[in-house]
Amino acid sequence: MSHLPANGTWSKCPFCNAHVNQLEWGFYKQCPHCHRYLRLTAQQRINQVVDANSFSQIDTNVESTNHLNVPEYTQKLAKAHQQSGLDEAMVIGQAKIKAQPTLIGVMDTHFMMGTLNTAVGMIIKQLYLEGAQRRLPIVIFIASGGARMQEGIYSLLQMNTILNAKRAFDQQDLFSMNVLTDPTMGGVSASFAFEGDIVIAEKYTQIGFAGRRVIETISNEQLPVDFQDADHLKQHGLLDDVIERAAIADYVGKMLKLHQGE
Amino acid sequence: MLDKQLQIIRSSHRISSADLLGQIVTDFTEIHGDRVLGDDPALTAGIALFEGMPVTVLAVNRGHSMQERQRFNGGQVRVSGYRKALRMIVAAEKFHRPVISLIDMPGADASVDSEDHGQSQAIADLMSKMGALTVPNIAVFLGEGHSGGALALSNANRILMLESALFSVASPEAVAAIITTDDDVSEYLPMTASQLLKIGVNDETILENQNLVINLKTALKKHVSSLTPLSAEELITDRSNKFNQVLNTWK
Repeated sequence: MSHLPANGTWSKCPFCNAHVNQLEWGFYKQCPHCHRYLRLTAQQRINQVVDANSFSQIDTNVESTNHLNVPEYTQKLAKAHQQSGLDEAMVIGQAKIKAQPTLIGVMDTHFMMGTLNTAVGMIIKQLYLEGAQRRLPIVIFIASGGARMQEGIYSLLQMNTILNAKRAFDQQDLFSMNVLTDPTMGGVSASFAFEGDIVIAEKYTQIGFAGRRVIETISNEQLPVDFQDADHLKQHGLLDDVIERAAIADYVGKMLKLHQGE
Repeated sequence: MLDKQLQIIRSSHRISSADLLGQIVTDFTEIHGDRVLGDDPALTAGIALFEGMPVTVLAVNRGHSMQERQRFNGGQVRVSGYRKALRMIVAAEKFHRPVISLIDMPGADASVDSEDHGQSQAIADLMSKMGALTVPNIAVFLGEGHSGGALALSNANRILMLESALFSVASPEAVAAIITTDDDVSEYLPMTASQLLKIGVNDETILENQNLVINLKTALKKHVSSLTPLSAEELITDRSNKFNQVLNTWK
């Protein structure tokens, strides 16, 4: 069937169902019809925001294990590792953004929806520690469904212990900013996500504590279309700004410059 | 087994923070409102004397009757509740008052209002300040305490749990639904008072016999007096060590 296009040439937009050619998604993975963005892998995000060849990954040496023997968690971890090529849902490193040196952390929804567990918590705490030691600012790209249920209370207690690590970083008067990307929910939203000196969101990001479906079921009301959407949060005064994907690197670079001078 | 425990702690006869308040402290004076949004009935805040010592109390109410449960939103604290708690603990620092939280809350308030008013930010701000508190704080789990809201109120030097209380990342039903199992999730995930005592989340289990109030009072007295000699710096370190030690049991 040589007259058919190669697999992956065309794909359906998950938001508007339009058929989009591989080339049309472009560097920023934006649908040419509805203009929404595909979720990025950590590597794609890094490529989009850091200066070329400036990223050096920080080794985290973490590996998630199913200590509590929760059914199917071992298989889920193996599958996530295999599909994403990552050891866990977060990548950290040092880089330059618009010539400004910074530490950067990027969460990846392709690994168990970027959920916060013991390993991801350790990576974030390491990031704050490295920031304090290297005396560098920190930019975190958040993308997470919340706490990972399979690690129970251990996932929950990442929330307060990450805030402790962040406090030690803040005591050095260093700058941190968070870029909330789709989705930023639950235990991540209610711990470090909103605690940066600057908190912005990528356009079209869903942000909230409780999930949309849960609220719909419990409140029994029809929720507005833009409920928990980044622009909606901005209107309610909950975000410093909402930025288009293609403009994020410039925004972050400028913020880093404004906090450190040239 | 968990089903039975849930039945006990969700029963309309379950001891509530309102029942306990009058018995463990004196001169309780309620302080209303967050000075911005409103006054959350789910969280009663106030100043009282515990054994003659001024303390700040944050008490989550679930209510006994249907009417009460409706009024208290079933113990689901709203944004104004977290904000009220935050201003109360800032004042507690100024006047060197220990903070006692009484917790019985099934989880986050799932509503449009809470999301639109920044529930995430409110929980994070309270959790962060609780961790950095320069006065002792002690949390008591009376029934359920789930998810980030409960942790914001229990990011404390000591956690005490009534025998059948639960503390979990989410309600057992929500956990089971997300990890898609019909099993009793407490078989895997530590969430009961005895399980959490083993890993150091729970510092003391309060027996639920006819002396419950005395048991709780005795425990509170012991922990308050062990913490009050500590300096601000020591209290912050003690609190942070407590949770780090729990996480060290993940091996």
